[in-house]
Amino acid sequence: MAIPIVPTLLRESLAALATEDSRIDGRGRFEGRDIEIEVNCLANAEGSCRVRMGDTIVLVGVKFQIMTPYPDRPTQGGLMTSAEVRPVCGPDWEPGPPSAESIELGRVVDRGIRESGCLNMDDLCILPGEKAWQVIVDLFAISDDGNLFDAFALAAIAALSTAIVPAERFDVGEDYPLPLSSTPMMTSYHKVGGRFVYDANKREELGGDERIHITLGDEGHVHSLQKGLRGVFTAAEFTEIMDQAQIRCVELRDIVGKLE
Amino acid sequence: MGGYGDIQCIDENGIRLDGRTAEQMREVEIECGVIPVADGSARVKWGKNEVIAAVYGPMEAHPRKIQRQDRAILDVRYNMAPFSTTDRIRPGFNRRSREISKVTADALESVVDLELYPRSKIRVEIEIICAEAGTRCAGITAASMALADAGIPMSDMVVSVASGKVHDIVVCDLNKEEDNYGEADLPMGILPMTGELVFLQMDGDLNMEQFQQAWDYNMESAKEVHAIMVEALKRRYGGDE
Repeated sequence: MAIPIVPTLLRESLAALATEDSRIDGRGRFEGRDIEIEVNCLANAEGSCRVRMGDTIVLVGVKFQIMTPYPDRPTQGGLMTSAEVRPVCGPDWEPGPPSAESIELGRVVDRGIRESGCLNMDDLCILPGEKAWQVIVDLFAISDDGNLFDAFALAAIAALSTAIVPAERFDVGEDYPLPLSSTPMMTSYHKVGGRFVYDANKREELGGDERIHITLGDEGHVHSLQKGLRGVFTAAEFTEIMDQAQIRCVELRDIVGKLE
Repeated sequence: MGGYGDIQCIDENGIRLDGRTAEQMREVEIECGVIPVADGSARVKWGKNEVIAAVYGPMEAHPRKIQRQDRAILDVRYNMAPFSTTDRIRPGFNRRSREISKVTADALESVVDLELYPRSKIRVEIEIICAEAGTRCAGITAASMALADAGIPMSDMVVSVASGKVHDIVVCDLNKEEDNYGEADLPMGILPMTGELVFLQMDGDLNMEQFQQAWDYNMESAKEVHAIMVEALKRRYGGDE
């Protein structure tokens, strides 16, 4: 990603807004942008989802391949999550091999899904020691107006929840829905103007400091955390956003639960 | 072309697998301004194809060695999303996408008024979201719509369409099976105002009569697609013509 020039004026105006407890687009501190979500939107993917949060738009496609299980886990399949943030989605993203930013995106989303255990790897076994399903989740950004993390995570879990295992095409039985036992949800908080806000847009990201990503499971358990970018935060700040995350994740899970 | 197997792409009544007759094209839907953060953008749905294109710029071209002192350069990238085909595509540039990017740039550079922006660069990004044969044509069409949406001065838009031959019958706008098992493919990039060409490729086997028929089909479909493009721009910007 091209290193963006951070205007001092932007930082100053964000700081001024923070003292009035207000935000650049008029939202409350922990208020998210409107979410539009559509599943089964890609004809050639086995599971798919398009999420729009404000002017951020992402697509996620789920594909399946047959793999040979690892020798130490002969009854298990695999999960691979890869983020492609191509230069189509914004002026700062550049072509070329995956940048550190897009690798971090893919890995953080992957950890939330993997560590929640929502996908039982033993369910992906076809023939022990010989054949298993590899589930590939491709994250693809269409328009980056900030907080790709949450948009990707939401679209990924929704795409997985509607995915159909294409067993007939690979000649290994009948097609069936991919079993998912829970719905992990990610929420991200950015330090903007000296305090954390939820669902930062691009300008807040540009003029802000560090960010924290929290993935919570159905029971409110923590499944993945990530702190990114330069900045320090206190235990009290973390407690505050963790409490907010607990509330927001329930709301988001409700949105996914209502699909199909 | 070069496909194996024995698929009947056209029945005895001249009806194709997707229900079209030989001279019918697939349904085309176009919408501009689909990427809020881009300077110009468009989505083209062409049968089951779905293509999005974004335009960024004109902006400074760097490194300096790629600058042209007398005009702008078009930096065109055609890419297929990993989930756009039945078998997943490994991300990254390959020889096919590099060639398509180049011929697309050559086509678009023929209409964009590049001399207005010396030493700068206009980025054109074409992403195939869902593929069903004919993605390069849909891509060129989408890119020229995105350029128009970005307000880049152009002498004309480029409408790209293809025809080909299946079971020795010339058909308009090949679908996936016809592309795989057919005998020829003729994609063209046409300027709708003048009927001039800025993009031409062909592979397969056509006699002169068949070639003329495919050419004529393309000229006809270009008119149809152009009307849809104009409609899409009017929907976004208003105005009668």
